[in-house]
Amino acid sequence: MHEFSIASQIWESVARAAREHGRARVLSIALEVGELNLLEEEQLGFWIKELGARGGSPEVKLKVTEIKALVRCNGCGVEGEAALPAGELNHFLPPILSCGACGSRDVAVVGGRELRVVSAEIEKESADGGSG
Amino acid sequence: MRLFEATEEGTVEIKIDEDIRARQEELAERNRELFRERGIRAFDIAGSVGAGKTSLIAGMVERLSDKHGVGVIAGDVATTRDAEQVTGKGARKVLQINTGGMCHLDARLVCRALEQMPESGIDLLFIENVGNLICPSYFSLGVEARVVVVSASEGTHVIEKHPAMFESADLVALNKIDIAEAVQVDLSQPVADLKAMRPNLKVVKTNCLTGDGIDEVLRELKLA
Repeated sequence: MHEFSIASQIWESVARAAREHGRARVLSIALEVGELNLLEEEQLGFWIKELGARGGSPEVKLKVTEIKALVRCNGCGVEGEAALPAGELNHFLPPILSCGACGSRDVAVVGGRELRVVSAEIEKESADGGSG
Repeated sequence: MRLFEATEEGTVEIKIDEDIRARQEELAERNRELFRERGIRAFDIAGSVGAGKTSLIAGMVERLSDKHGVGVIAGDVATTRDAEQVTGKGARKVLQINTGGMCHLDARLVCRALEQMPESGIDLLFIENVGNLICPSYFSLGVEARVVVVSASEGTHVIEKHPAMFESADLVALNKIDIAEAVQVDLSQPVADLKAMRPNLKVVKTNCLTGDGIDEVLRELKLA
């Protein structure tokens, strides 16, 4: 359920930006989401749409760029994409990350936890000065 | 935030570039400063549903309330059961946060709860996180230390299955050691798994119902 709390923070950020530009309607939001956040994209999109609808933006869509998990091995020193066990990342069973080079589990996570609102597409003001 | 690009369809793309994680860290840092200003040492007690978080807190409150002003913030999806269990052990103030479905506490909720705490007279604060071994690991509360309570009844491989939570722990209480045999759990496995994952992480074996191990937890937290 932490998709909702993340969606709230994202929406807050975007709505504020839209207001600062004097527009009301948000059409899409571009995000960078590290895969280790274990955010379910469909749920996240659902909550953004719900929040958007309440905020006057019923059509808002998400454009998500996924950032892969990156680890630095405390054993062999290699920095690279983490080796994940077979199967998808799962909200109930997070994976054990290991070094892609030597297989050690003694790794430091250096990427994959990002959560960034990159940009938003908002409706241009219409000729009559309205925002709709 | 500045204008980025005007598209032919009549929309405008604005660059926002806001790091949500960094904002969460800022909120946690704000809590750290608030605790420092008010002279409060705060601890996050996390763990699964039924691991023994509330029993550990109750035991610690009982041992500390003679010499300290202890406050407790209990987080749960619903009910005031956690707060009720701790009330009467000597805490100056016990507050329950009902998250209404959220599976973890975050720095913002804790900050709001802190506003309900007395301005003075509290120098120790125990924050009981929502029962969950996954989601709380992603949200720092801005405390001095996180104690993760894990119990024998959660199975032999519980550590291996929840790496993020144990990576974020400052101390582990391995609880319900008295029933390990009854649930056929070999406690040497979780101990070994923690050692492999975090060689310097201290693990204290506890039975929070009888109180065994609680004094050691307090020593490790430099509270006794």
